[in-house]
Amino acid sequence: MLKMTHLSKVYRTEVVETYALRDFNIDVKEGEFVAVTGPSGSGKTTFLTIAGLLETFTGGTYHLDNLDVSNLDDNARSKIRNEKIGFIFQAFNLIPDLNVFDNVEVPLRYRGMKALERKERIMGALDRVGLASRAKHYPAELSGGQQQRVAIARALAGSPRLLLADEPTGNLDTQMARGVMELLEEIHRDGATIVMVTHDPELAARAQRNVHIIDGQVVDLAEDPRFHSAYVAAAGQVRG
Amino acid sequence: MQIKPILTAMRHHKAGTILIAFQIALTLAIVCNALFIIQQRVTRVMRPSGVEEANLFAIDNQWADSASVQNVGAQIRADLTALRQLGSVQDAYATNSFPLRGWGWDNYVRLRPDQVHRTSDSAIFFTDDHTLATLGVKLIEGRNFTSSEAHDVSIKTLAAWPEIIISKDLAKKTFPDGHAVGKPLYVNSDASPSVVVGVTDTLQSHMTDSDITPFAYDAVLVPGYLLQGMTRYVIRARPGQLQAAMRDAKRALVTQSRMRIIDPKDGVRTFAQVRAKAYERDYGMAMLMGIVSVVLLAITAAGIVGLTSFWVGQRRKQIGIRRALGATRADILSYFLTENAMIGGCGVIVGILLALGINLWMVMRFEMAHLSGLYVLIAAAILLLLGQGAVLAPALRASRVSPVEATRPA
Repeated sequence: MLKMTHLSKVYRTEVVETYALRDFNIDVKEGEFVAVTGPSGSGKTTFLTIAGLLETFTGGTYHLDNLDVSNLDDNARSKIRNEKIGFIFQAFNLIPDLNVFDNVEVPLRYRGMKALERKERIMGALDRVGLASRAKHYPAELSGGQQQRVAIARALAGSPRLLLADEPTGNLDTQMARGVMELLEEIHRDGATIVMVTHDPELAARAQRNVHIIDGQVVDLAEDPRFHSAYVAAAGQVRG
Repeated sequence: MQIKPILTAMRHHKAGTILIAFQIALTLAIVCNALFIIQQRVTRVMRPSGVEEANLFAIDNQWADSASVQNVGAQIRADLTALRQLGSVQDAYATNSFPLRGWGWDNYVRLRPDQVHRTSDSAIFFTDDHTLATLGVKLIEGRNFTSSEAHDVSIKTLAAWPEIIISKDLAKKTFPDGHAVGKPLYVNSDASPSVVVGVTDTLQSHMTDSDITPFAYDAVLVPGYLLQGMTRYVIRARPGQLQAAMRDAKRALVTQSRMRIIDPKDGVRTFAQVRAKAYERDYGMAMLMGIVSVVLLAITAAGIVGLTSFWVGQRRKQIGIRRALGATRADILSYFLTENAMIGGCGVIVGILLALGINLWMVMRFEMAHLSGLYVLIAAAILLLLGQGAVLAPALRASRVSPVEATRPA
């Protein structure tokens, strides 16, 4: 579903080159629920923005749903974002001027979908996240957990092949975070491929597979000599 | 189309939306009335005088000795003889006034002495047998004056003139069903009529003000030299010798007699100068209306650019979200153009109503003509195009917002 090979992302200024991702390799299979973890500044968000075609990369290759997306133009990238990818952001990213219904409708409008089909999909997605009754409410009238559910409904309404979640519970209290996480697990059980960036080990543990990024590279904490001792100590703490 | 979400979003930006729509409405209302006024003025300025204006000039000659005014007839004849003999001069005549001069005589023209309402209020030009040739005006019916018909005419003893030549427009008004030549007209006296001996082609009166428009082309040519303090000479220079003729004519008049005053500043004027002076208020008004329109349009365009730029800055995150959710650059561009077109459209509708209201008020208050729908449509199109043009730069800036903006903190 998502395969990056020797991918790199370099930010260049006149005097310095900064590698956000370097020789980055990842392969997410269809139907997997992968948690991407790593310390701040490790490159998690850069990975997610490249995976979501929000940003271009400098080198390597990236195949999404068996399509090489390395050299697509802006319109083609927009089309893939719209049809194949669903985004769930930490800050929900709802449009405050639009009500819940209209917010969920945004990506469907860009797809050129007929009004009747849009309405069916929107109400179906809102029903799935338990907010069908709030369709006419504005984001400011909802709690954080409800706003994130709307964002999930917006991501689901387009039936994407891949769901990308960037710290989806980062702005929520524990109870709301639990609810959102359960919803993501339910969506995964229904067959969705989910890649979730998080720094929360508890959330990461609920994913099928964990991928760790450090200094812009995917590392195996158990095998990499740089992190082996720290990993063993941490694992011991968890077991204890 | 994105009309419904744009409308929804507008409800959250009511103040800015209403302000810009009102600005567009006000600008439209003023601009289309201004365009209409400009068109009216330009039409008036561009109308033909009937005179071949090239190579024509006029000299305002004031007699220095007012006591001898009653005796200037001989001096006028001597002046004309001298002027007509100049190598650079083709022809010349003396008069009280001439087309486009702005000031002069005008008299009621009636068909019967007991007629209560005038048929026309015509310009009265004192002329002789050289007038038509000098002005380059064609005679379309009847005959020209003879040299013997031009007598000295004293203001104190004004009586009916036996023969007159009238302009084509006056002939149509006075005798719409037939030929004017040989018919009587009461111009200066209720006691005895003047007989029309000729009809000229189009000939404008001395008057150019808007309130005399119905009589603008009504002129009566009277044979004679008016004995008064001021005599005006209208002179046609030979082709290409206008400047020489102006210099020669002034010198010849001074040589004839020094007992005259010719204003060194504007005593000798080409007909182009006469025309410019006649319509200077129209030029001024058209210019003023043009400047007001351009300034208003510039302010409105600046307002649209400013507000849209502000909105683009304010909605940068929102644009990023839309891009992340699949909007193309064209979608974002279209969003802002559509939003502006909707605001502009509302402004234009209100503006049209306002324009018609202002025009109706001016029609009642200043007897202005009714505003043509064409000007409303032109102004509406200008405003809508201006609005779309003004919004283009900030909208293009918005379309270049990266989708990665969605992942950045607000």
